Amino acid sequence: MYKFLTKAVAVGSVAVLALGAAACGNTREGEGTSGDAPKGFAADSLIGVALPSKTSENWVLAGDLFTNGLKEAGFKSDVQYAGASTTVADQQGQISSMVTKGAKVIVIGATDAAQLSTQVKQAKESGAVVIAYDRLITNTGDLDYYIAFDNFKVGQLQGQALLDGMKAKKATGPWTIELFSGSPDDNNSAVFFNGAMDVLKPLIDKGEVVVGSGQKDIKQTAIQGWKAEGAQQRMDSLLTSTYTSNKTLDGVLSPNDTLARAILTSVKGAGKPTPVVTGQDSEVESVKSIMAGQQYSTINKDTRKLVAETITMIKALQTGGTPQVNDTKTYNNGVKVVPSFLLPPVIVTKANAAEAYANDPKLAPLTK
Amino acid sequence: MSAAPVLLEMRSITKTFPGVKALADVNLVVREGEIHAICGENGAGKSTLMKVLSGVYPYGDYSGEIRYRGEEARFGDIRASENSGIVIIHQELALIPGMSITENIFLGNEPRKGVAIDWKTAQRRALELMKLVGLKEDPDTLIKDIGVGKQQLIEIAKAFAKDVKLLILDEPTAALNESDSQQLLDLLREFKTQGITSIIISHKLNEIEAIADSITILRDGKTIETLDVKADGVNEDRIVRGMVGRDMSSRFPDYTPNVGEVFFEVRDWTVRHPIAHDRLVCKQANFSVRRGEVVGFAGLMGAGRTELAMSLFGRSYGTWLSGQVFKDGRQIQLRTVSEAIENGLAYVSEDRKAIGLNLLDDIKTSIVAAKPAKIARHGVIDEVAEHRVAEEYRQELRIKTPSVDEGISKLSGGNQQKVVLAKWMFTDPDLLILDEPTRGIDVGAKFEIYGIIHRLAEQGKGVVVISSELPELIGLCDRIYTVFEGTITGEVARADADPERLMKQMTTTKKMPV
Amino acid sequence: MSGLQDLKKNLFGGTTSVGRQFGMIFTLVAIVLLFQVLTDGLTLTSGNLIAVVSQYSYILILAIGMLMVIVAGHIDLSVGSVAAFTGIVVAKAIQNFDVPWPLGIVLGLVVGALIGAWQGFWVAYIGVPAFIVTLAGMLLFRGGNQFIGNADTVPVPEGFRTIGAGYLPEVGPATGYNNLTLLLGLIGCLAVAWREWQARRTRQEMGAEPAPLWISGVRLAVMVGVIIFATLRFAGGRVGTSLPVSGIILIGLVLIYSFYTRNTVSGRRIYAVGGNARAAELSGVKLQRVNFFVMTNMGILAALAGMIFVARSAASGPQDGLSWELDAIAAVFIGGAAVSGGLGTVSGSIVGGLVMALLNNGLQLMGVGVDLVQMIKGLVLLFAVALDVYNKSQGRFSVIDSITRPFRREGPPAAPVPADVSRPNDKTPAAS
Repeated sequence: MYKFLTKAVAVGSVAVLALGAAACGNTREGEGTSGDAPKGFAADSLIGVALPSKTSENWVLAGDLFTNGLKEAGFKSDVQYAGASTTVADQQGQISSMVTKGAKVIVIGATDAAQLSTQVKQAKESGAVVIAYDRLITNTGDLDYYIAFDNFKVGQLQGQALLDGMKAKKATGPWTIELFSGSPDDNNSAVFFNGAMDVLKPLIDKGEVVVGSGQKDIKQTAIQGWKAEGAQQRMDSLLTSTYTSNKTLDGVLSPNDTLARAILTSVKGAGKPTPVVTGQDSEVESVKSIMAGQQYSTINKDTRKLVAETITMIKALQTGGTPQVNDTKTYNNGVKVVPSFLLPPVIVTKANAAEAYANDPKLAPLTK
Repeated sequence: MSAAPVLLEMRSITKTFPGVKALADVNLVVREGEIHAICGENGAGKSTLMKVLSGVYPYGDYSGEIRYRGEEARFGDIRASENSGIVIIHQELALIPGMSITENIFLGNEPRKGVAIDWKTAQRRALELMKLVGLKEDPDTLIKDIGVGKQQLIEIAKAFAKDVKLLILDEPTAALNESDSQQLLDLLREFKTQGITSIIISHKLNEIEAIADSITILRDGKTIETLDVKADGVNEDRIVRGMVGRDMSSRFPDYTPNVGEVFFEVRDWTVRHPIAHDRLVCKQANFSVRRGEVVGFAGLMGAGRTELAMSLFGRSYGTWLSGQVFKDGRQIQLRTVSEAIENGLAYVSEDRKAIGLNLLDDIKTSIVAAKPAKIARHGVIDEVAEHRVAEEYRQELRIKTPSVDEGISKLSGGNQQKVVLAKWMFTDPDLLILDEPTRGIDVGAKFEIYGIIHRLAEQGKGVVVISSELPELIGLCDRIYTVFEGTITGEVARADADPERLMKQMTTTKKMPV
Repeated sequence: MSGLQDLKKNLFGGTTSVGRQFGMIFTLVAIVLLFQVLTDGLTLTSGNLIAVVSQYSYILILAIGMLMVIVAGHIDLSVGSVAAFTGIVVAKAIQNFDVPWPLGIVLGLVVGALIGAWQGFWVAYIGVPAFIVTLAGMLLFRGGNQFIGNADTVPVPEGFRTIGAGYLPEVGPATGYNNLTLLLGLIGCLAVAWREWQARRTRQEMGAEPAPLWISGVRLAVMVGVIIFATLRFAGGRVGTSLPVSGIILIGLVLIYSFYTRNTVSGRRIYAVGGNARAAELSGVKLQRVNFFVMTNMGILAALAGMIFVARSAASGPQDGLSWELDAIAAVFIGGAAVSGGLGTVSGSIVGGLVMALLNNGLQLMGVGVDLVQMIKGLVLLFAVALDVYNKSQGRFSVIDSITRPFRREGPPAAPVPADVSRPNDKTPAAS
């Protein structure tokens, strides 16, 4: 037993010595380097791109554009999508891995914009620049830039299109409308909605525009997860509760194309005349619908442009410069105002569709 | 007899499992048209030998040679041996309860017409085969609707569907009653006249004596001897001697009972069946146990012996309706198993694998499982104490195992039973109820368990033994109660006990004068 | 006995499932080394190890509770939903009712216990199969999460985030390492040495011969080596980081529950119930109590896991806890638990969970997409359990075991002893 004890003590001491010895030679990352602003990085550095699950064609397109664009620009890229059922946790892991791999810039299209602050902090502390792509990441002081289409403007354009469309059908008011908004866990939903209400509210107050069901609050109008069936269900119940008699529905504010088509399906199913319905994203089916005179409008947010601008930002960061931003006031994520670069969206109706999609190989043929 | 040509010869068969040599140089010679019995204690290697023969352990998995019909046989699987006409019927019946007799007989061997099963032919042949084994049933009857005896016959019919030359039966009568067993044995004799060779494995030595032409005895994975029943004048005792390697002058150890006062008494114990509410499984049972006494409960299967014991043991069976239990003159409550254990009761179940033991456990955890608090402090188990206790029981009860850390499932039936006994001895009981304590155990282990029972009685404990073997009760007990249909029909002292008297009381509703 | 078997048999304890655990540890080491090569050394960097621990600690915590549920012969499909429900309740309580965050954690544990007790009630006292009860719970509490949270994401305060995203503070002299992590490592080394000494003493008290001294030496050296390596990695990350707080919680729980399941009377009862419920009942075990306990305990651990995730994410969201139950169940089965209950260890489940975690992490570092990662994980689960089933059908516990076992002892183990041989030991056990 004694022999054993001496051995145990010996091993223990070796352990302590090893700890001590190793301690001398170690310098930890972040010691002495903290506080220095990043001044550029190697031209072939790794750029991480973390996107939500592949549920929308826009994200798939964005991923492909990033992979190719970053390669052309000479960077190494790591483009990742979150899984369909484990989105938030996947994205958290992916961002951590990008940090481990030493990514210099991490572009994040957030799955849940409020649940990434730990990873953003981790990225920032490792010296990476974090760019929120399309969705503003909230609850963090470590986000560097935000790049997106001007979503408030999107809302305003939708509101205006709704009015224009209704005026074209019926010259004078009052017009009866219903309001829809996007998923409550998506930061953009409120921005779209507020933009639209910026246009519609004065008229509602004046009584020229009437919300038939009276549901004007964003909470009442939200569709969880941007789900088509959610919008269809809500529209079904609105039609049965409010539009059973001869009351006509003139227009519906829909935040995107998927919901717009669901709303139209519901209205058709109830045998009501087609109202003016707005949209967004220029989805193929909706462009067809617009050309067929069903959906009234959509918004063209050219993913190509957005990705191209993001890569321009990354290039600026690589040379040590400051990327161009055009809004340093609006986008407060709860902790700080995030410097943003906003691209203007374009409203598309049947009238200007051919012109708007002239450069889009997939949509252009539909408008002929 | 010995003039008949050799049908099967197995030469120096050796089969090794990790850590165990199950068969060592075993030889077996079976002649055409004979009934050849293989005897041996549990674990002697009988079943392993048959699995080697039937291809369950394929060629290459064992060493040695099998010569069948004059040629070397190398069976790769069961199908190969079946194709040569060797069919084995296992102890656990391989029938599917929810399927009909026809379906079972031809399972995996269905007569076909193109891709479809030819049910017409199947039924016709099923009827023929059933006639062969002496069964008259509708071939569409479901297996679950016929008795175990008939199921066994169906198994044999199934074997004949495969054109059998050599029929191997592993404990064919273990689950059968007297008359079904007799029928089966008659059938084997009948086959013999038709020239079919049989190998039978059985513990029932009287059956073997009656039916076998020759006997091969295995012990510890080795061939001990092959006896010619007629020429050698073999009887049961001769077989036992071969199996255990010595003379069994007595099946029961010497013992002088030292019976004390009545300390445990049950009055008016009435219990209802758990599902059939109009049925009583115990009807106003009254019995008592004295200190140092071994009390037997005799009865046919289903007479209510187990039900009585389990309902006493923390109401583990049925619905308790009325009755009191007195211990040392004081009334005690036995509402839960823990209460029963606290009051010094122990119940060793008749079905040790299904409800007596956790087969995943190792020996030491099993031994302390019924009263772990004894080796624990503040709920934390003292592993040293646990090991010590297990080691003590291992030595006292002579549990054959290299270590108490071994898994229960690796032990033979007799040794598992010793572990169960140890588990309940560890709870310091005053009254042990042993339900069929020697079921499925070989002769040597039985003897040891009788010794343990006697030692417990010597320590002043009361022991209740429930058994279906009357000689066992008569040899072991100081007093025997008989039970019939939930009623205690009589009480017989050891001196007056004989099988006929007991059997009479076990089959009558009339209460005998005590 | 040759040295190799000695080493293998003694290195990881001495029970029947050793072979399996040895196999899993071997697999784990192989996976680590494989990815260490494939990722050019990124896998074992401080930053990555720290990230892996904080990323998977909540799944591993779930696996502990799930192990006990599975050992008892049940399954819990609701853990993800329970975690999400607790998370939103706690986040809302802190946000709307100004509950101080430490109290919020207590509240969460209470909520978890209540949910667990609710499910335990149905399983244990009504006798509804746990599969059904927890399938119902999965829907019930997922809906509850959205009902209470309005499908919103609710942020939690900085203090609360400690349990999921916090690190040990930097104190003491500048050693170039996180001093508290070093201290933990030192304690770990001493504890391992003490345990080794204890184990030898116990074996001696049992009257068994302890393993040769050099075996103890090698085992100790290996374990101390691993601890030192891990300590230096975790202590040597970026300033401000260390072994994550969630990792410390996990280690604490693993130690407590390992001890509980192995060494206590009530822990043993879980195995008894899962191994053979009827036999356990007839041995005086109160089935209902055991079943109620494992379900309640699972509720508490699910709540804790949920809160750690919320803390790490800085907010409680509607997607929290999605498919966690599958990860936890997979970890337990890869770690060697039996589908039918009665078998499995806490440490095995943790190893199983780590295999999944490192696989996931390694593939992520290689830039493999989520789709492929899921496919690979599915196959790993299938093969791990299939290998186990195969080995069991061959009557052995692992390939390595089967190679070495035939040499361990000679002759059949159960040679019948003639009854007339005098008993080797005539004394009655002191206990009876």
